[in-house]
Parts: sequence; structure tokens; C-alpha cells
Amino acid sequence: MSERGRRAGLALLPLAFLLLMSILPLLRLLQEGQGAVSTGLFADRYLQWRVLWSLLQAAVSCVAALLIGLPVAWCLARYRFPGRSLSLRLLMLPFVMPTLVAAMGVLALFGPQGLLGVNLQDTPWLLLYGNLFFNLPLVIRAACEGLAQIPASRLAAARTLGATPWRVFWRVEWPAVRPWLLSALCLVFLYCFSGFGLALLLGGQRYATVEVEIYQLVSYELNLADAGALALLMLLVTGVIATLYAWLERRLAAPLKVDPVLPRRPQGMEWLQLVAALALLLLFAGLPLLAVLWRAVQAVAASGFSLLHDEEVLLALGNSARFSAMAVLLAALLGWLHALAARGSLWLRALAFLPFVVSPVCVAFGLLLLYPQWSASLPLLLASYALLAYPFVARSLAGALDSLPRHWPQAARSLGASPLRVFARVEWPLLRPAFRRGLAFAAATALGEFAVTLFLSRPEWLTLTTLIYQRLGRPGADNAASAMLLACLLMLLALLAFLIIEWPSAAERQLRKES
Amino acid sequence: MQLFKTTSLISALLLAGLSHAAELRVLTHSSFAVSKPLLAEFEQQNGVKLSIIKAGDAGEMVNKLILTRANPIADVVYGIDNTMMGKATAAGVLLPEAAERKSGQPQLPGATSIDYGYVTLNYDKAWFAKKQLPLPKKLDDLTRPAYKDLLVVENPATSSPGLAFLLSTISAMGETRAMAFWAKLRDNGVKVSKGWTEAYYTDFSRNGGARPIVVSYATSPAAEVFYSKEKLSTSPTANLLLPGAVFQQVEGAALVKGGQQAALARKFIAFLRSDAVQKDIPTSMWMYPVQPGIALDPVFQHAEKPAAHTTPNQQQIAANSAGWVGKWTRIVLKSGQ
Amino acid sequence: MLRLEEVCKRFGPKLVADQLSLTLEAGEVLALLGPSGCGKSSLLKMIAGLEQPDSGRLSFAGADLAGVAAEARRFALMFQDFALFPHLDVLGNVCFGLIEHGVARAAARQQALACLQQLGLAGMEARKVWTLSGGEQQRVALARALVTRPRLLLLDEPFSSLDADLRRQLQQEFRQQLQQAAIPAVLVTHDREEAFALADRVAVLREGRIVQCATPAQLLAAPATPWLARFIGYENVLAEGVVPEQALRLGPEQPAAAVRRIIQLADGVRVTVASADGELTLTLSAREVQQYAAGLDVGSLLHVGIDRSAMLSYSTAC
Repeated sequence: MSERGRRAGLALLPLAFLLLMSILPLLRLLQEGQGAVSTGLFADRYLQWRVLWSLLQAAVSCVAALLIGLPVAWCLARYRFPGRSLSLRLLMLPFVMPTLVAAMGVLALFGPQGLLGVNLQDTPWLLLYGNLFFNLPLVIRAACEGLAQIPASRLAAARTLGATPWRVFWRVEWPAVRPWLLSALCLVFLYCFSGFGLALLLGGQRYATVEVEIYQLVSYELNLADAGALALLMLLVTGVIATLYAWLERRLAAPLKVDPVLPRRPQGMEWLQLVAALALLLLFAGLPLLAVLWRAVQAVAASGFSLLHDEEVLLALGNSARFSAMAVLLAALLGWLHALAARGSLWLRALAFLPFVVSPVCVAFGLLLLYPQWSASLPLLLASYALLAYPFVARSLAGALDSLPRHWPQAARSLGASPLRVFARVEWPLLRPAFRRGLAFAAATALGEFAVTLFLSRPEWLTLTTLIYQRLGRPGADNAASAMLLACLLMLLALLAFLIIEWPSAAERQLRKES
Repeated sequence: MQLFKTTSLISALLLAGLSHAAELRVLTHSSFAVSKPLLAEFEQQNGVKLSIIKAGDAGEMVNKLILTRANPIADVVYGIDNTMMGKATAAGVLLPEAAERKSGQPQLPGATSIDYGYVTLNYDKAWFAKKQLPLPKKLDDLTRPAYKDLLVVENPATSSPGLAFLLSTISAMGETRAMAFWAKLRDNGVKVSKGWTEAYYTDFSRNGGARPIVVSYATSPAAEVFYSKEKLSTSPTANLLLPGAVFQQVEGAALVKGGQQAALARKFIAFLRSDAVQKDIPTSMWMYPVQPGIALDPVFQHAEKPAAHTTPNQQQIAANSAGWVGKWTRIVLKSGQ
Repeated sequence: MLRLEEVCKRFGPKLVADQLSLTLEAGEVLALLGPSGCGKSSLLKMIAGLEQPDSGRLSFAGADLAGVAAEARRFALMFQDFALFPHLDVLGNVCFGLIEHGVARAAARQQALACLQQLGLAGMEARKVWTLSGGEQQRVALARALVTRPRLLLLDEPFSSLDADLRRQLQQEFRQQLQQAAIPAVLVTHDREEAFALADRVAVLREGRIVQCATPAQLLAAPATPWLARFIGYENVLAEGVVPEQALRLGPEQPAAAVRRIIQLADGVRVTVASADGELTLTLSAREVQQYAAGLDVGSLLHVGIDRSAMLSYSTAC
């Protein structure tokens, strides 16, 4: 009973925040629409195609991520090669990349006159490739983690029972990894289905998603009723998936690994497999970033660095750093509280997805309707950043809390540590890596969040993302070049935030590797 | 981390400590770019703190104004144009003012006109030179096989230049013929982009795209020269001023109904029409000042100012634009889906 | 010292303590013996203060424990998996409790090193805990618990994760350590050998109740119920009493019983026969086989009888 009370106390702040920043704005928007949904809205063939395509592209992304991700993950998990741990670490990079940077990279590769010489614009492939850039690493990491949970003895047992390595994979490794993959695929589906920025930037007219349709309905047609109906439809689908994910994830709380399989040097043809796996990884997770870098180098070669010597760039840099720092602080607080409260609670856990799945356009306009007097104020802007950033902290911590054996804090209690001291001396040191990882995601999100451009803005709040847009809003070679340079700068900043926060100390690295 | 915390704490305190002068809230679109020293001068002279609020492009801005009409988020709005004016007036979000009228200046009934410009076709000179393709002479040429897959336009549902271009074709041909023209354009491979940025920077061949003709502004060729490293002597692009493909866009400012500081707001509108700002507008926002006799930057010699345009009047736009955009969407985007 | 009075605890539908009462004397080692899932670990956590009883009273040295937080009880709990902290090295783990009890770092280090030395872990203080063998981990966990000089030591299956040889060796050491330290201890185990080898008294638990609580000798001499008799290892449990090996008589004067099963042992055989009293299992030495059961085979007859005077009757005392 007191446990429940304590949890309710912890949950109070994040729940109030979600209510004020996400649920109430959506409800306010629905109220403004007054339920005057167009008759036959869902009978419209155009809209049916939008819904179908949204589902389809998410499903195809899932299947592709699985088919490509699993073999790559297997190679990374089982083969020892120079740069292996670096590769595993670099796998995190796409997660922290701003949507705008990724989209510019994808367009630089596969746009008209792209670096690869193939124009995929106005085909579904552009969006699918973008989806894979962000989500393939997610599947690979999950599969690697799942593979690492399989004790070496189990594989050895299967071999002695007459199974070939391939059969061992099918009959022992695949069943063990399946729940991990399933949970990762839930996330992939969620991100692809409800993703806004990428679909807006890469989908074009034909391959945009429902989320983009909502954006057009609200922003340009002021058709709040239809937009609200669509937003509710989205929420219904994503709510089911998010709950499924929360349920799966809780079951996956990893016990300590015993007797893990040690990666071995590949032999003969296995080198080929490894090289192919790394090449796939580079193609899907590395190339867009390299393309941004390359275009920026070209821009510098053509125009020099003087494009960055500019009052506006300094202002944008300062603001991006300032806003990110403040948003991260807020996200840290909310994330901790939410994670602690969500320990063992499926609903609170699924609720951490709310900011991802509620249409950002609806939230932006709902906030405008709900708090007009605050709508151009900095606290509201920072709160919107925090809204989009804090689920990363909450989710990362919730996962770490689950895999923390309850024995450890109990042992510490019986050795004389008060709950506060248990936190300081046992739980905090063990949760710190996950917390830092959450912060890194939060910082990167705040730095490059695309959806925030939907909110009201002030010239003095110029950030890198808005500055890129501003430059791309004017004709002229200098503007294009400086937008590319700024995108590269944004990419490097995200990388920097990631490195500062995420790169563990030597001791932590060893701890993570061994236990 | 510690450093982060300290800095952000200090900055939060600084923000909270800002002094409270009278505040004038100015709602504008994201292209607003009046020079900072000019704005600072206005603030100083009138003892006011300007709060510039950017609300997306002109269409989004007007929609946000309409949504918050019960509790306005601004006192004065700048950047509303003749494509959106009717909608704003119908929703009753603006305070009608008797604007000073000078004959010869482009007018924006219901608001005070500040600047104007032309939405028209731009073409990539190098591309046409290389292909040795003659330039189209009239709009209908664009539906001929020779010009297949050469044009990119913006979606009128999500872009003001896109809407302006659609309106100019309707004004020139009448609704029925214009829609038939668009159907033929569709069959001839017209590309539709979400907004100007996508059309100009992704699809226009000048910037690495595949389309040598784009819907843009008549001042864009001048901007191309202005924003070039090596200070070009001629623009790489030029206007393609076909009859029926030129729309005159007039931007203005107005008081927001229910807003405060009406006197200051009027001063701000006057400020926008002052010589200093009018002189600043051409190279900051790439529009022509409405005040006569303002000397233009020499770079404007690269932009051919259209002699004629086909622009429907505000009432026609207000009454029909939603229906026209709907029809256009069905014909160009939704057919075959 | 430790007293449990009418303690009740329920987890959902499962009753883990049902009006349970128990006492522990100063310096005594008490084993809680029971099958898996009988609630013994929960009982241990209640004593440690990590779980609260639904009703009933716990006291130590006359003072009520209700409202005393786990960390304030000074009862060290040693977990089945040892629960060594992976972010601390061996020394850090052993120092943990000392620092929590306010011992200065330098002094804590001294005491911890001394304790490690005593437990044969000298030189291991800088090792990471995951590099230790099972036996070493167990000793580090014991050192971590003992070094704080707790008022009571609570042990949850402390040997179950070790292999048989190591277990026997460590159990002996452990018994010595406990006697030296003169700390009372409560030990939870499902292994009767372990309970008999380490404890002064053994409380046998079943479904949240104590079936019998007595010294190992008393338990063996007079088990309280047929279930308990079987649980502590008796093979021949009849309704009227237990038939220990020494109550079984061989020889031609005994009634004949058909042999059902034979298991060959290193130094004899184990035979199960169908007698008039039901199935009886007995172990025959090689000599006895030669004397009484030449040509022993399944289906053949063996003369076996019960000496009723040597039978153990069920005690009612607890």
C-alpha cells in the first residue's frame, strides 16, 4: 500500500506534465474541431491510401530491418575483429542524429543528382531508406543483446546433439532472440508509423504519411475535426503497439549473463560474411552522415568557412546549446521520476511513449489554443523540448531498473544502508550508464528536434534547425552552402553531445563488457 | 555536467530578470527579416519592447491568428498578403483601418500595404543553353512534349507561391480552362513539391535537381547574384514572364482585433512604411517597397520587373480559393490514387 | 534473542507464514529447513526487515522490531547469489557495511583487509567480483557480512550454488567461523545435510507452518509427522511410526517378501521388497548379501521383518 502511495507520489509530476503538455492540448484541439468530421472521411480513396501507405511503409521497414539486421547482428555478436567494440558503439550514432540532418543526407545520396547517381525521389524507397537509417541500428542492437544472453553451454549442447551451426541458429539462437527482436520491431513500427519529420521531408507528395496529412489539415486547411479524427486513429494503433512493447520489454528484463559466448575470429568464408555485414551497416547507417560531411566539404571548398562567420550562426549555436541544456535538465528530472514510478507498472511504462505517438502538430496547435498567452514564451518552448526528450531518459532508466536485481539493494539495506544511501552507493552507480545514455538521446533530440519548428518562434530564439530552414528559404548559392555547413555542424554537435555524455569511463566500459 | 547546470541556471535567472517595458507583440511569417538596428531604433524611440513572433509561412500564420482570435497572441500582424487577406477578413481577426491611399501604389484592402512582389516562373539559363531548347513562349507550351518533365511547382495547399501561381493561371484563363490546363500539365509530368524550399533546393536544376523551370519570385535571379560567393556579373537564373503566369503579391500589416497597444501598433505600421525600412526590405526580404521613390539596390538590375500580371482581386480569392485548391488537388494530386 | 510470535504473511493467494512462532537463543545457529517454495526465504526477509509481516510480532533482545528499518537492525543478510556489487571490487564490497556504519575509510579498510585475511582471501582485495570463483564469491559475501559484527546473521541458501565437494569443505570452515564470531545465525536451506551439519536446531517448515523444531538428533530420533520423516530422509515410513535401518531384521525366521527393485551400491545393494507392512527399502552390505541373500534377483524372496521395539514413534512436541 505504501509502495503504491510512493509510486503515485513519484508519478505525480510526470503525469501532470503529460496531461498539461500532451493530453489536454489534444483534447482542446478535438473540442475546437467540435467533432464536425467530414462525412465519408475514411471512405475517401486518397485518405485510404495515406492510411494504407503509413501502415505499409512501417511494416516494410520492420521486415527489412529484420532481414538485414539479424544477420548483421549475428556477425557483430559472434565474430571478433579489430574495431568491433567501436562498431557496436557507432551503431548508436543514427539514434542521436537530427531528422533534418538525416533527411539532407538521404537526399544528398539518393536525391536528384545524388552522390550515388540514382534518383529515388518520388519513389517509396527514399522514405524506406530513411526509416532504415534510423531503425536498423535499433534492431541490430536488440539482436546483439539477445544473442549475448544465450549461454555458450546451450549452443555447445545443441552442437553435441548433432545440430549444424545453421540448425543451431534456427533451433536455439533464433527462438531465444525472437522476443528481443519483437520488442525492437514494435519500436520500429511505432517510430515509422507515427514519424513526422522524416515522412514530411522524404515522402514527397505521394509517399507522405497520415501524420503529414494531419499537418496539412491543421496548418493549412484549419480542418481540425478531420485532423483530430486522424490523430485519434493514429493514437489507437500506436497505443496498442506501445502497450505491447511495454509488456514485452518488461518480460525481457535481463538477468545477469552467465557464461556468455565469446566472439571468435572468423575463418575463411566467414570473413566474407563479416565484410558483407559491415558493408550493409555502412550503407544503411553510415552513408547518409558521410554524405552530409561530403556536401559540407564541397561547400567549404566552394565558399570557405566565412559562411559561418555570422552573427546569426553564433546566436543559433548559443541558443541550441542553451535550450538543449535546459531541456536535458528538465528531461532528467521528469525521466527519473517517470522511470521510478513506472517500475513494474505496465501502464506508466506505455505512457512514456505518449509524446512519441501523439501527433506533434496537434500538440503544437492544441498548446496554442490552450495557453495563448504563454504560446510565445520560453518556458513553453522549453517544456515542448522536454516533452519530446524526456521519454528517452525514462525508457533508458526503466530498462536499467528492471535489470537491476532486487537483491542488491536489499543486501545493501541489511548491511546498514538507508534507502537514500542504497540509492547513492548501489543503485546510482549501476544506473548511471543508462541514465547517461538517456541524457545523450535527450540532448540530441533537443538539439535537432524537428517538430519544435511547428511551434511559435521568436527571432531571438533562433536555433540551428530553424536557421537551416531560414537559409533554405532564400535563393542563392551561399544560402544553400551555408545550410549544408550548418547541417554538418548540427551533426557534429549531436555527435559531441553524444560523446560527452555517453562515452563511458574505462571502468564502466569494463563493467559493461563483463557483466 | 556541472558546468552545464551552472550555466543554464544563470541563464534562467537572467531571463527571469528582464525588465518590463511596454511590449508590442508582432506576429509575422518566418521570412521576416527587417534589420536588427532598425528594430532597436524603433524600440528606443517609442520606449517599447518589440516581441517578434514567427508563426510559419503566411498561410500558417493566418490560421494561427484565426485559432487564437478569442485570446489574440499578437497586437499587430505583418506579412499577411492578398492570397490570405480574404480569409483573415472573413474570420474577423483584423481591425479594419482606413489606410492612406496613394494612387499607383499596390493596395491591400483591409490592411496597410508594405511591400509587393511577383510570383512567376524562373528558369535555369545554363540548362536551356546546354540543351539548346528554345524557351516556352506561352503557358500552353509547357503542356507540349518538348517541355515534358521540366516544371516544378509548389502545392497550392501548403505553399503561398504555389497558391499564387495557381491563382494567376485561373485569373488569366478562367476556372474551366485553367483546370484543363493543369490536367494537361499533370499528364506532361509537372512535379509538385510541398513548399518553395523543396522546389527550389531539391528539384530546381540550378541547385542539383532535375527541373529547369520552377515557380519562384521575380526577384530570385537578383538574390542569386546577391548571395553568390564570387559576386556573379549575371544571374544563373532568369524570369520566364509568360502571360498568365505572373501573380502580384502584396504584403501588408494590420492591427489584430482584440490586441493591445493600438497606438504603438499604428506607429509600428508607420515604421514599416518609413523610408529606412522600405529601403531595407528589398535585400532582406526580396520584395519591392510600396513607397515610390525608394532607390533599389543595384543588384535588382538582375531581376526583370514584370510589366503585366494576372491577379484575381481579393474578393474573388476569398470566395473561391478553397474551392479552387480542392479542385486542383483532385485533378493534379489525387487522380490515379 | 530473536523471537517471532504468531507471524502471518500472505503473498496473493500464497501463505508464506501462518501463525508462525519461533525463538533463537544467543549464539545459536538455527536452520529453517523446508521444500522449495515453503516460505522460508520470505521469513528470512521479514526478519531482516525487507518485508513486513501482515500480523504478529518480531522482537530481538526484548525490543520490538516493528518500525525498525532494515539498515537499523544490524542483521546481515547473505543472499543465495551472494549479491556482490559489480561496481565495487572485493575490498569495496567488504568495506560497504563498515562505511554505512560510520567507520572511517582508513579504519574500514584495515578491518576489511584483516577479515579477508582471516577468510583466506588475502591479496584478492583489488579483484573485480565477477572474476572470482563461486567459492571465493561465497567467502567475500561472508566477509562482507561478518566484518560489520552484525547482531544476527541471516543466510539464504548460502551453499546451494556451489558444487558438492566445495560445499562440504566450506560448510566446515563456515561452522568454525560462526563459532569463532559467536554471532547467532538463521540459515535457510532445502538441503537437510546442510541443516544438520551447520545448525544447533532445525525448524522444518511446510506451507507457512513449523512442523517441528528441534536439534538434529531429536529430529532424527522422533520426527513429528510421516511427511517430515520422509523429508529428512527416512525411507520406510509407516502410519504407526518410522522404521529406521536398525529396526529391520534379516534371517530365515523373518517372513519372506518378494524383491521389487535392486540398486547396486559401491559397498552393497539397496533392495526394495513388498512386505506385509508395505514396501520396505533396506541397504545390505556385501557381507549381508552373501549371508542372507545369495542369488538375489528381482522376483526372488528375501526374509525381512520389523523389530517393533526399535521403531521410532512420532513425537507431538515441537
